[in-house]
Amino acid sequence: MKIVIAGAGAVGTHLALLLSKEKQDIILMDEDDVKLDKIGSNFDLMPWHDSPSSIQAQKNAGVATADLFIAVTPDEARNMTCCMIASNLGCKKTVARIDNFEYMTDKNREFFRQMGIDSLIYPEMLAAKEIVDAVRMSWIRQWWEVGSGDLVMIGVKMRNTAKILNTPLKELGAQKLPYHVVAIKRGDETIIPNGFDSILPLDLVYFMSNRKHIPFIRQECGKEEYPDVKNVMIIGGSRIAVRTAKTVPDYMRVTIIEQDEARCNRLTELLIDHPNVMVVHGDGRDMNMLEEEHIRTKEAFVALTDNAETNILACLAAKGMGVSKTVALVENIDYIKMAESMDIGTIINKKTIAAGCIYQRLLDADVDNMKSLDMAKADVAEFTVNHNAKITRKLVKDLGLPKGVTIGGLVRKGTGMLVNGMTQIEEGDHVVVFCLSGMIKKIEKYFG
Amino acid sequence: MINKKLFFKIMGSLLFIEAGLLLLSLIVGLLYHDEEYMSFVYSILTAAGIASIMKFYGRNAENRMSRHDGYIVVSVAWVLFSLIGMLPYLLSGYITNVSMAFFETMSGFTSTGATILDNIEEGTHALLFWRSMTQWIGGLGIVFFTIAILPIFGLGEVKLFAAEATGPARSKLHPRISTTAKRIWAVYIGLTLSCAGFLMLGGVSLYDSLCHAMTCTATGGFSTYQDSVAHFHSTYVEYVLTIFMFVSSINFSLIYFGIFQKHFKRFITDTELKWFICIILGATGICMYCLYSDHYQEPLSFEESFRQAIFQVVSLITTTGYASADYCLWPHITWSVLCAVMFMGSCAGSTAGGFKIIRVVMLTKNAYNEFKHILHPNAVLPIRVNNFVISNSVKSTLLAFFFIYFATTMVATIIYTFMGLSFSEAIGVSLSCISNVGPSFGRFGPAFSWSHLSDAATWLSSFLMLLGRLEIFSVLIMLTPHFWRRR
Repeated sequence: MKIVIAGAGAVGTHLALLLSKEKQDIILMDEDDVKLDKIGSNFDLMPWHDSPSSIQAQKNAGVATADLFIAVTPDEARNMTCCMIASNLGCKKTVARIDNFEYMTDKNREFFRQMGIDSLIYPEMLAAKEIVDAVRMSWIRQWWEVGSGDLVMIGVKMRNTAKILNTPLKELGAQKLPYHVVAIKRGDETIIPNGFDSILPLDLVYFMSNRKHIPFIRQECGKEEYPDVKNVMIIGGSRIAVRTAKTVPDYMRVTIIEQDEARCNRLTELLIDHPNVMVVHGDGRDMNMLEEEHIRTKEAFVALTDNAETNILACLAAKGMGVSKTVALVENIDYIKMAESMDIGTIINKKTIAAGCIYQRLLDADVDNMKSLDMAKADVAEFTVNHNAKITRKLVKDLGLPKGVTIGGLVRKGTGMLVNGMTQIEEGDHVVVFCLSGMIKKIEKYFG
Repeated sequence: MINKKLFFKIMGSLLFIEAGLLLLSLIVGLLYHDEEYMSFVYSILTAAGIASIMKFYGRNAENRMSRHDGYIVVSVAWVLFSLIGMLPYLLSGYITNVSMAFFETMSGFTSTGATILDNIEEGTHALLFWRSMTQWIGGLGIVFFTIAILPIFGLGEVKLFAAEATGPARSKLHPRISTTAKRIWAVYIGLTLSCAGFLMLGGVSLYDSLCHAMTCTATGGFSTYQDSVAHFHSTYVEYVLTIFMFVSSINFSLIYFGIFQKHFKRFITDTELKWFICIILGATGICMYCLYSDHYQEPLSFEESFRQAIFQVVSLITTTGYASADYCLWPHITWSVLCAVMFMGSCAGSTAGGFKIIRVVMLTKNAYNEFKHILHPNAVLPIRVNNFVISNSVKSTLLAFFFIYFATTMVATIIYTFMGLSFSEAIGVSLSCISNVGPSFGRFGPAFSWSHLSDAATWLSSFLMLLGRLEIFSVLIMLTPHFWRRR
């Protein structure tokens, strides 16, 4: 597939890397040759040094014969212009990154399609959803719902209080557990466990389970002391903060702290329909002010300022004041790993989220839903089993699935169930597969 | 540090390919009923054996290649290919001296075309076919050849390409390197076959046509006859070879765009090509004047002086090294012209060697800018090639390259003089080696072979040829302590 990516910024670069590993033909356009040189000399793609919004440049780059055009420059108006030119030249499909929520509404979708923009992506909205998922259950690092939402995958950090430590999974399994351990992240390594592996303290463990068994997992992990989140504090009144405040469930009370008074006034206007949100004018780094705003009674703290360092430090301070769940926005990709090692609960990066989302839309239609776990270098994907697929012919244990792949669970007729070796997968099931990064193409054939 | 397993895995694959190429030569030999062919059988077995061991050691290699690995793989691959490639010469007793056999093979793979053989016609069909094929494979690059046919390298391809490709402009034809490589090789194969076809029309035998076509499009210069192209005594053959040498030393991506994509405008407007043609015409003009006028003992006819002049000039500027006349007998003024032309070489991205015209263009424009700069200290004076401004980092790489190229030639000249060569011979030999040309001056001119070089001088020449072919940096970087320091 020939893919043209306009804009060699963080999103464009990240996406280009993901796709070039998939052996796609990538042309990366940007007018800054310094950025292009850096990536062009290391990865197998064609850097194209020219302005993506120029018609002639797009013609030269061969956009006319491209299957997909992705515009991810920092400017949304420019992205849309690029897409319009590209589809006029004959590109099959276009995706534009935008910064405006209005454009995403259903009634405008047809309008943009007529203009030649097939698909829009709004990273702030994706990030807000990710934040709400993270905050909803404070003891969970990552939360992912399958299909109807009956089956969930959760990532939990193990502390010494957990009951399931140091026992081989085989022995744990003897008690007929209502969950399935799909992956363990230990240090830098991601393990797809078998019966002989056991869970150690400080592991990040990914469980697959039914929604009703989550309290049980919580008990097993020794996380009872983590309170349910009812009060959230957000510092930095950015667009993500607004989207987050609009997305949280009604029972949560949100305090947004913003430094700029004019922005505070604007925030109150934007959030006028949300009585559970309070806007406070002040500096998020000022500890006294945070105390005054009762940070100690909050269950979650979300740092969304423009500055990654501030966010990381503010989260550490909040942890110190007893907030159990912290979320930091870290836009600098190099910091993610470091921030994670500092034990900040959840790290949000708009760029990887956006790139992951586009990447997911590109994968074959067989994959219904996919999530990349940056922290664990792994992917979870949901497949619908087609008629007479390879996977329906044998029991799971006899399938001979490649190493590094495990089937987490399945949803059959709206009910989630766990999968073990003796399960027979049937046509029409929604199957959740957990695999190490880059293996997803190998699994597709089992479902085709 | 170095990813050893991956290194051995790649080397193993490369050697398997070489075994395949040796097999091809063996088949040619059997078709022509060579009496001696066991040397090839043993060479193939050796290559395949070593390849299997390396493959076995490198199984389950982690697919991660650093910049360091890329340079090591490329440099070692060329040496290893030459070491295995010299086996047929040694085992058949055609060449008895190891240093000379290595020289001959390295001269082949680097498409230099200098030979130490005084008895070329005595070689079997298989041996001479192998000798020509080494040039053909080496013309575009051993690793580049492998990238085109084997998907073994994963993400490392880009680094290998960077380490082996020549010239400052490494344009891709297609987003994927392996596809780019396939298209370039398609152009190359097309050129070679049409060259062979035209030679056959001129009455050359199939075998000689193929061997000459391979060394002509590779701008190598090995011939199956001791007296090179002069053997054919054919005006037609000389013109055909001149044209194909010229075409093969144009940037291959330009040829691709011109022929397959119908972008003729790029062809006409290309700065490097324009300069290349002007330089050839200028040098031919001078040589032709000398041959036609009274400066020469026996002035030639107009057509003959034109033909001999353009053949020699094109042969040397494209770094091929065929000879249709002995230019050592020409007036001395032509020597300096030919020497300059040898140094410059041809377009980047072709099979030819040398300093590359594009660098000459940039250096000239840079020097010219310096004059303007003195009068207008604050003027912004960019160097433009094909309307693109050359960045400062490219400029400083260029100047460094020029210095190292020059310094290497100087040092080599001094060493050769110590080894007993005359000054003009020493300059000629070191330039000829580093530019991958082939013939030189004096006792190393087109009428003689290089067999009277001492062993030490032979090894030095082999090294210089490798340096020149991989554009110096790729090899010399491995000799810097910085490269091996733990990171």
